This record gives sequence, structure tokens and C-alpha cells, in this order.
Amino acid sequence: MKLHRLVRPLLAAALALGAHAAHSQTIGYIYVGPEKDYGYNTSHDLGRQYVEKTVSGTKTLHVENIPETAEVSRVMERMIKSGASIVFATSYGYLDYAIELGKKYPKVAFMHAGGLKTGDNVGTYWANSDDAIYLAGMAAGSVTKSGKLGFIAAFPIPQVVRSINAFTLGAQAMNPKVTTTVVWTGGWLEPAKEAEATNSLVDAGIDVIGEQVDSPITIAQTAEKRGIFVVGKDVDVSKFAPKSVLTGASWNWGPTMVKVVNEIKAGTWKPSHIRGDLKDGTVVLDPFGPAVTEPVRKTILAKKADILADKFEVWSGPMTAQDGKELLPAGKAMPMDMLESMGFFVKGVIGTIK
Amino acid sequence: MTTFDIVLGSFLVSALRSATPLVFVLVGETLVQRTGSINLGVEGQMLVGAMAGYGAAALWGDPWLGLVAGAVAGMLLSSVHGLLTLAARANQFASGLAVWMLGFGLSAYYGAGLVGRKIEGFGTWRGAGPDSVPVLGPIVAGMTPTVLLALVVAPAVAWWFWRTRTGLVWRAVGESPEAARAAGLRPIRVRLQAILLGGLLSGLGGAALSVDHTRTWAEGMTAGRGLVAVGLVIVARWNPWWVLPTALLFGGAEALALRLQTADAGVSAHLLLTLPYITSLAVLTLTCLRDRGQAAPAGLRAVMDR
Repeated sequence: MKLHRLVRPLLAAALALGAHAAHSQTIGYIYVGPEKDYGYNTSHDLGRQYVEKTVSGTKTLHVENIPETAEVSRVMERMIKSGASIVFATSYGYLDYAIELGKKYPKVAFMHAGGLKTGDNVGTYWANSDDAIYLAGMAAGSVTKSGKLGFIAAFPIPQVVRSINAFTLGAQAMNPKVTTTVVWTGGWLEPAKEAEATNSLVDAGIDVIGEQVDSPITIAQTAEKRGIFVVGKDVDVSKFAPKSVLTGASWNWGPTMVKVVNEIKAGTWKPSHIRGDLKDGTVVLDPFGPAVTEPVRKTILAKKADILADKFEVWSGPMTAQDGKELLPAGKAMPMDMLESMGFFVKGVIGTIK
Repeated sequence: MTTFDIVLGSFLVSALRSATPLVFVLVGETLVQRTGSINLGVEGQMLVGAMAGYGAAALWGDPWLGLVAGAVAGMLLSSVHGLLTLAARANQFASGLAVWMLGFGLSAYYGAGLVGRKIEGFGTWRGAGPDSVPVLGPIVAGMTPTVLLALVVAPAVAWWFWRTRTGLVWRAVGESPEAARAAGLRPIRVRLQAILLGGLLSGLGGAALSVDHTRTWAEGMTAGRGLVAVGLVIVARWNPWWVLPTALLFGGAEALALRLQTADAGVSAHLLLTLPYITSLAVLTLTCLRDRGQAAPAGLRAVMDR
């Protein structure tokens, strides 16, 4: 896995060098995985295509499968030398390299996905999926017959733990007795384990599965085969599992990217942490599948309206931890640091974090 | 039928499912190493097999054609390793790595258009008659043709290897190519045959993964399984009879790691996910203590020591 990650970027960069900057603005995109993974990287590539289509006179370069090592500096540098004046570094581990290169190339603008640091010419963008996952969890909680949900996830990091909790809380809003059994696969892209984890969950009587791995596609297709339901994330994969997909929480990076690009063009851009969510449309609740009934859709959309109108907050009390201890008293909102470093499960989640 | 039957049966079937791609790859690589060479390119061959198999199944709508296409693709790629090491006398490790990279790149390039394509997979017998038989019922019901194929291929190859004259020739080449040559055999030709057969089987293993087990094509989807197979050859003591138990041990541990999580065992998932490697290492250590590393074919030891 290591060597190919060295060879392919070289080829890709050679191609990038060949494509000279005839347009007024060239934007580079770097992905940590395959652009066609129907997951995280595809969501960013859809954003890239949106930018190319929407902002006239723009040309984009993109390189996939770049590991979070010094290799990313080399790729960014080659992009800059082939004329890129904006670079979207779309993986978490790219941040330090972007900040370092930002100092070397002060005229180039860098945009990093999810980072917590900025530089003179390095900004970040991210979006909070929790609200959409809560709503998707409501669909899961209303469809389950066994009252047992599953969640297949890569690594126990705060962003994933938040999704599992939001999914469970949403489901419990529809059916308070619902439990969520968590299975970790130990990798973002492990199709064999994802398929087997889905089978294991089905064998244990679970009939709706949520997920947060690189792409929902394997889990959705296995669920379709086994006749159970799934809730997706990152990209809507309902066309590959039309019966099974209930809904999902997808990214919509395009408008955010276009806004930044236009600001940079106009010279008004100031590096900052741009954070989107369901409200501004960076996160989208996917269309409902046929298994979600009309009354349930209405309930979920009503809750969505409450979220958009700031009448409902997912991360507010009363909230109880997995072991029954109180996390938040009624009416209290969760403090920011507790939210950002979430290392606990709520009541009803079955599984371990450590 | 009791819950225990169902739990045991469904665990066994998931162990079999997880082990199946590995069985094919492991049989192939065992034969390659038994004839005195080593092919690190199996990971790439699996990927090419997985991609070509998925593509063929998507194109022609028949999973059987997918398996055939995967096997052929794996064999074609392994011929590169065969030519490099046997005709051009290239270093086996370098050639194996080159084939691995080539397989990764080719499968990623040609597979890009296949991501998200739907294919018709094999059905199972779930819900049909055998479901009601204790323990065995759920096992049979959850099986697919590739699982059965793996259960047949491994013992058949083992029998052929130990009980037939050509099997003897292959073993002789692996033990001492010089003696084999003196006896009028052609070691190069045998090694090439083994490499091609190994390629065919690893391609088939890859296709079993994409066409049957996951019904997905994703770039790099084998996630190191090919390399694991190269190592598991040692655990199987270079003996085709041991391929099935070894693959089941690894596949079973992987399935168990996932199942224990669904059963709320309360054990750290980080530890559970190392289970396949810990069990393999434990078995390896035990068997090595017993035979002091003498299980490898002599000709292969020459490759390693050279």
C-alpha cells in the first residue's frame, strides 16, 4: 500500500504539469482516497465539479490517493508550479503541510477540510452532520421492527462517536427502547469486513444499520441483499440499494467552495474557519426511501424545521450516558469542548470506545 | 432449532465466507512456494481479479463469467512475474512488488468506471429447505457457490499434489531444482506453471471477494489480504492440506472479531481486530518450535538465503 502511493502521485503530477494554465484561475484539489469512492472523496470531487461549472474561467486540477505524508507537500508544490492559485487540501492530516507551504507561497490560497488552525493564507472549511444524522436516525427508529439498530464505523474518533450518538438519539425520539450495536472495522475502506459486519448484525437480529466508513456502498448493497435497511452518509447511494436506503446525511461542498473562490478572486477573502451545517445547506438530508411512511416523513420534516428555526438542539439535555449516569440535565446545552472531544456513548448504544 | 444452533451455524458460515477468497489465494501461493519461488504480486493479482471479475459480472450479468474473468486476469498478470523472474532472471521480490503495483494501478484505472455498478450476485439457499436442520441448516443456507468451490478446490489440489506423479514432479522441483534437472525434469517450466496457476487462483480469490462476498468493487479493496496469504503459507507449513484450516483460522478470527462486537462482549475493539493476526502468530510460533523451520521446501530456502 505504501509504494503505489508514491508512484501514482508522480504520474498524476506529471499529467498536472502537462495541463498548463490557460485559464485565468487554476484550482488544485487533493484527495486522500479514490475520487470515485462514492463516499468522502467523491463528495469533495462533486464540489470540485460544481466549482468548475459555476465559476467561469476556472480550471481545476485534482490528484487522488495522496497519503497524509510529506508527499502531499510535493503534490501541492507541483500544482502551484503548474499555475494553481488556490489549493483545496481535503484530508485532515494535510493541515500542517498546507500551513508550511502557505508560508513558502504567500500568494497562493489554501483551504483545508476540518482543520483547527489557520494561517495568513490558509483557511479551513467543514460542516456539522449531526443534525442530519439525528433526522436519519429518526427514520431508522421508526422503521425497525426488532428495536435493534446497528452502526458500522471505522475508528472511535470524536466525529464518528458523535454520529453514533446522534443516530441513536434520533432513533430513540421515535422509539425510546431502541438500542444501537456498534461494530468497528478498523479501517476507512474495508469492504470485506464491512460486508461481514453487516451480515453479523443481521444475524444478531438487527434490521437497520447506520454507518461511517469511507463509503456506504458495500454496506448498502449487502443490506439490500439481506433485506434490511440502511442510513447513508457522505454521498446518497440510494440508486445502488433502492429498497434498503431510508435516507442519509450527505455533504454538499459546492456552494461553500464557490463562495470562497469568488471571495479570493475579488480579493475580499480572509482566512477563517468556515463551518456549515444543515441550516446553510452544506449538509443535506437525502430523499426518503420507500420504507419510510408518509406520517414518519412528516414527523422528521417537522423536526428538521424545528432545527432550522433553532427550536430544537440535538446536543441538549436531558441526556444519559451508556452506563446510566447523567450527562446533561434537562434544558442544558452541551458545552463546546464536550461536543468536540466526545468520548462517550449515550444510553442505548451497545459497544466500546476504547 | 435452538438459538445456539443458529449462533454457531451463522458464525461458521461467516467464518467460511471470510476465509473463502483467502483459500484460493493461499492454495495458489502455496504451490508457487512449493516449487521454489515466491510471488509477492498476489495482492495485485487479487485486485486485478476482483476488478475484472466485477466488470465481467456487470457487463454480462452472470457471476460465473465474473469468476472466470477474474481468474484469467489474475493469470495474465502473474505471467508478468513469470517472465520477469524465469526468463529475465529478475529478483523475485522486486518483480513481485512490481506486479503488485502494476495490479493496483491497472485495477484502479480500469475499475474507476465500475464503482457503484450493480451486479447480479449468486443467491443463497436462505429461506429454502435446509434452513430447518440444526447447526448444519444455517451453514448450508448461508453458503454461496464460491464457498463450496473453495471447500472442493483446497482438498483436490492437496490430493493432486501429494498423490499424483505431476504433484511429485512439482515437489521435486521445489526441493532441489538441480536434482530435478538431472532427472530430466524442467524446473523452469514447472515454476512457470505454478506461478500461472497461482495467478489464476489469486484472481479467482479476488473475484470471489468482489463478485460474491461483497458485491462491490472499490479501489484497493483487498486491503492487504494478498500479502496476508503470502505469510499464511508459512502458517500452513507449505502443505496444501493445511490451507483450509489455516484460512479458516484467519477468516474465523476475523469473523469472530466482528461477531463479538455485535454480541456486546465488552472487549476493546482495538484488541478484537488484532485477533486474526494474534491467532496466526500463535499457531506459527507453536509449529515453528516443533519443526525448527524445516517445513519450507529446500529450494525455497535457497531463494530466501541467497
